[in-house]
Amino acid sequence: MMYKRLIQLWKWLTFILMPNNIVSIHAQSTDMDIAITNETKKLPGDLAMWFFILAELTVFAIFFIGFAIAENLNVEMFAQGKTQLHKVIGLLNTIALITSSYFVAISLHAMRENNDKQVVIRLIWALMFASVYIVFKLWEYLALFSQGIDIETNTFFTLYFLITAFHFMHILLGMVILLYMAVNVYQGKYRDPASENELSGFESGACYWHMVDLLWIILFPLIYVI
Amino acid sequence: MLKAWQRFACSWGWLIILTLASVAIGHYLQSSSVNSFIFIGLVMLIVAMKGQQIIDVFMELKHAPRLWRNIMLAYVIVIPLIITIIYL
Repeated sequence: MMYKRLIQLWKWLTFILMPNNIVSIHAQSTDMDIAITNETKKLPGDLAMWFFILAELTVFAIFFIGFAIAENLNVEMFAQGKTQLHKVIGLLNTIALITSSYFVAISLHAMRENNDKQVVIRLIWALMFASVYIVFKLWEYLALFSQGIDIETNTFFTLYFLITAFHFMHILLGMVILLYMAVNVYQGKYRDPASENELSGFESGACYWHMVDLLWIILFPLIYVI
Repeated sequence: MLKAWQRFACSWGWLIILTLASVAIGHYLQSSSVNSFIFIGLVMLIVAMKGQQIIDVFMELKHAPRLWRNIMLAYVIVIPLIITIIYL
């Protein structure tokens, strides 16, 4: 009974979330129609990567909410802590990550147009802007350390270092993925029919990088602006 | 009809403008007499707008299955909303 209700709830939710299912239901009459529906509504990258992205987003959501609650409980401490952060560096890091994400997006476009040279150049640009983020972030950490501020200073800096360092590690992993993609494109592995690398692998890497950017989009105003 | 690279460039420009706008709001409104709920709400609204750009344009989910797009869009709407409510 409970199982049937759950199935019914799931069907209702998917109906609400996917109005296009109406088209799919009617399209089941012929194989051709189903193929059209599947072609026009393709998820970029591998499904496994999207589940990984959702898991990552959930972990960061807990961090964001935790930070906001902690700030609400320690208003003065957080306000004082935020004055010691470098807002301009935070802004420059945001611009660097958005620009890096832009280059990854246009590299995927070049990939679809079989322009491998442009793909590699654009991925290198993306990596350069990611390096800008790395340099600024390390500079910011070192500036705080030189003032005697570290993860144990108070609740604000514990959360600040925990969240930003966790995000920093994601940036490093993303850079390794981008570098791997660039090397593979340079070696022509994505064009090799015998290779296991496919376009979806490239799309997955690109989506991972955009997720890292998306997280910073929330993290930046939460820690630096409000 | 915009070409693909033009669409990405427009989106990049829009993201930069929104970023600068949120910093400007933080700089000028935080210390003014404006209600903090309005200030935080505005900043979080910008977060949602930026998130939508990344999801629809950079991640190319605009033409992806509706469920995945809705999950991602829900994230950039619900999380800023929860944050705004916490600061109420």
